[in-house]
Amino acid sequence: MPERIDFWGIPHTWGPPEVYAYGIMGLASLVLLFRLYQAVSLWWRLGRSEKRWDQLHIRVWRLIKYAIVQVRVLSQRYPGVMHIALAWAFFVFLWGTILATIHSHFITFLRGNTYLIYKLVLDLFTLVFLVGAVMAAYRRYIQRPRRLTLAPRFTYSLVLIVVIVVGGLAVTSTRLAVERPEWAWWTPFAWLVGQLWLSTGASDQALLNWHLGLWAFHLLSAATLFVTLPMSTMLHVVTGPLNVFFSKLDRPMGQLAPQPQTSAGEPLFVTSLRDLTWKQLLDSEACTECGRCQDACPAFAAGTPLSPKELMVDIRTALRRDGRTLLKNGNGSDKVPALVGEVVKDAILWSCTTCGACVRECPVFIEHVDTMVDMRRQLVNEGRMDSMLQEALANLGRYGNSFGQSERVRARWAQTLETPIKDARKESVEYLWFVGDYASYSTTLTDITRKTAEVFQKLGLDFGILYDGERNAGNDVRRVGEEGLYDMLVHRNAAVLSRCSFKAIITTDPHSYNTLKNEYPREVLDGRPVLHYTELLDQMLASGALKFTHRLGYTVTYSDPCYLGRYNGVYDAPRRLILATGCQLIEMPRCGDRAACCGAGGGRIWMEEQAVQERPSEARIREAVKLDNVQTLVVTCPKDVTMYRDAVKTTGYENRMAVKELIELIHAALC
Amino acid sequence: MHIVVPVKLVPDLVEELVIDPSGTTLDPDTLRLQLNEFDGHAIEQAILLKERGGGQVTVMAPDVEGVDDVLYTAAAKGADRLIKLCGNFGQSVNNHAMACAVANLIKPLQPDLVLTGVQSHSDLDGSMGPLLAAYLGFPYVGYIAGVTLSDGRAVVRKEYPGGLVAEMEVVLPAVLGIQAADQPPRYVAFTRIRQAMKTASIEEQTVEGLDVSGGPTVSRMYKPEAAARATMIEGKPDEVASRLVELFRELGVL
Ligand code: SF4
Ligand code: SF4
Repeated sequence: MPERIDFWGIPHTWGPPEVYAYGIMGLASLVLLFRLYQAVSLWWRLGRSEKRWDQLHIRVWRLIKYAIVQVRVLSQRYPGVMHIALAWAFFVFLWGTILATIHSHFITFLRGNTYLIYKLVLDLFTLVFLVGAVMAAYRRYIQRPRRLTLAPRFTYSLVLIVVIVVGGLAVTSTRLAVERPEWAWWTPFAWLVGQLWLSTGASDQALLNWHLGLWAFHLLSAATLFVTLPMSTMLHVVTGPLNVFFSKLDRPMGQLAPQPQTSAGEPLFVTSLRDLTWKQLLDSEACTECGRCQDACPAFAAGTPLSPKELMVDIRTALRRDGRTLLKNGNGSDKVPALVGEVVKDAILWSCTTCGACVRECPVFIEHVDTMVDMRRQLVNEGRMDSMLQEALANLGRYGNSFGQSERVRARWAQTLETPIKDARKESVEYLWFVGDYASYSTTLTDITRKTAEVFQKLGLDFGILYDGERNAGNDVRRVGEEGLYDMLVHRNAAVLSRCSFKAIITTDPHSYNTLKNEYPREVLDGRPVLHYTELLDQMLASGALKFTHRLGYTVTYSDPCYLGRYNGVYDAPRRLILATGCQLIEMPRCGDRAACCGAGGGRIWMEEQAVQERPSEARIREAVKLDNVQTLVVTCPKDVTMYRDAVKTTGYENRMAVKELIELIHAALC
Repeated sequence: MHIVVPVKLVPDLVEELVIDPSGTTLDPDTLRLQLNEFDGHAIEQAILLKERGGGQVTVMAPDVEGVDDVLYTAAAKGADRLIKLCGNFGQSVNNHAMACAVANLIKPLQPDLVLTGVQSHSDLDGSMGPLLAAYLGFPYVGYIAGVTLSDGRAVVRKEYPGGLVAEMEVVLPAVLGIQAADQPPRYVAFTRIRQAMKTASIEEQTVEGLDVSGGPTVSRMYKPEAAARATMIEGKPDEVASRLVELFRELGVL
């Protein structure tokens, strides 16, 4: 009966092979643990505290789903398959070693069919691994996608793991060549390689010598992997799963952490690495440099200096370079480059639209946007911003809107309506419509705003607005990093809302929607829902309260606004409404949670335009015009209308593509 | 180096201006005030000078609606002393009266430099700077776009129309009318202003003896009356051009 024999063919000349095999690996493990401890203790001791230990069952579940099954890695086919092949092969090898150890020292069970299946599985995964390795080499060195870095450290890791696995294969195959057991076909791949050994005509003794040498080499290469792991790109096998385990659970994606505070209760601004939390530092250590975030980043695609991947790498480089110095200095003077401004340049931070595509894409759950905003808060605190943003913020502070217009004219658009809108401050309403700045003030949008009101009126909604009592909801103010101004705006809006009687808030602007829904203090809403108008109309569609009289018959495509889709998961409601108006919907390649950003978010709409190769909005229009027969781009965000109407002009597609707010379709199909 | 910056608040033109029923002044109830833009530059210039060479900055402003915000914002930028001028500042107060009273308060502060916005859109009888200089007996230079200090003197940059720039030296103490600071006024984060509110204190000083006589009297205040005088000339460019020439001839400009 076949049975696993420990240390087959290894002579006892220098004592039992266990002693030096376990000796070497034990030593390597000690070095590994010590170095890991050093790395972990650095971010642990340097970073501020942050609670990420709660809800362990969800964390374990995430670990299984994202670190072991790796569903996010798999969401992109080629790199997914490639990585799964390598990772799962290593999981199997790890289990193989664990089982072998159990067999040697505790329960002898690797014999008979169990042993054969054991061998077969290991053999097959060797093949799987090699397929993965070839795919990896082909991708990095031949395909060379821009998102991957060509640096020796990646080559080192790839070569090392290939050497380990091929070494193992060589050991097994020489053994098979010497033993030539009848179950050899249970390890088909190794047996084929064994045939190669045999074809050389070498004597059994020569093969035994080879076997010994290869075995020693395999042992040493495995030890090398252990010893160098903490400094190599393979570190991600530790930090990646850790980062998944400690990922954010306490708040939805659309809720930023409040400004950190010092122990004295003063606002704390991020100026150095030690102002980040240990989790933010771990984020940087966990980055695998897979570049998925960079691929998805509209700012990077536009040619701005921002790459979310490089952001993480820069923080990590600084952490490894300056971390110890900072620890030693305590809170004394830092002779190291400043985190904000030097390690991460202002222009990089200002390039982000906070679209969240990077966060959505990252296989190890890195939270780029939160860290970015934390650093922006420091820039704002020091007044380091362009003059347009400065003016917008000053206007928001003084007039409650970025347009620098009087709040008294906020509801001027409503004056020309046939039926006046209720003032929610004076009458109780069922739906309180939070209109938002752009819909209220932008002269190109007020027509759409009026149509929205007409649709609501036609549907007999009992609704009202706050008139000059409304202020900018603050979503983007917060994301710009002006937390104090955000608090003030929330305070003002909350004061008005608390005096109104309503059952739900509806918004037309996904940005206002996001902050009202996810960030406003609980007592303001008191359990009452915040709905985007598409959600409300979709409900009415389902209940039969909304019925269309005309079928529009357009062929359209739909661009999900970041703060409606990715941030809040509203994907289906607008699509159902589009179909209900009798339009045919053709999706763009980047749609749903992968929808591309228009470039306006995170306060970018208030900033000076950067020198870019292609504006995000223009790239999106080009994506839309590639679709056959599509003549209309439907959006559900006032800022989108502004951005894309500009972009169809600048790309010269004005006659080819119309940009419509969904409410315009609904208005047309209804009235 | 002690720099005093007397500033004033002026009607915010973003808000619709309503004329008081008396027809001679703006309706105080609908009026919203804000820091005079040039005074904002004067504060910025003072802070910049302090940052470069040290010293003390005192900002003073009349006690009108919004004055606390203005003063705390100045403190958040780096002003050391905040003075609120209390008194009866009806709209009849003219710059002559104000300058005289303020000069009396500035004198005991023994400033090395007084910076003030070169003008404001609510000035009716000349700007504050020269008036202050006269009452203080200091030299005055206006329309300044940049100041450097070096032992007892200020080197100031003054821009003339047509792109001419002059640099001149002024012996301190002096009054400078600031048109633009070396850098545009910085953004002050709300958190900073809030912190300043906690740490800084505003002193109140009473402005005595405002002699409002002798100032200009407004006999009528009214909004520009719309008149339909524009004529659109249409046609091809050369037709439009010849019609223009004709019109100029008719009007006697050619
Ligand atoms: S949030 Fe969007 S713009 Fe910002 S880094 Fe991520 S992908 Fe780029
Ligand atoms: S941040 Fe995440 S998605 Fe981006 S390179 Fe690193 S691991 Fe990949």
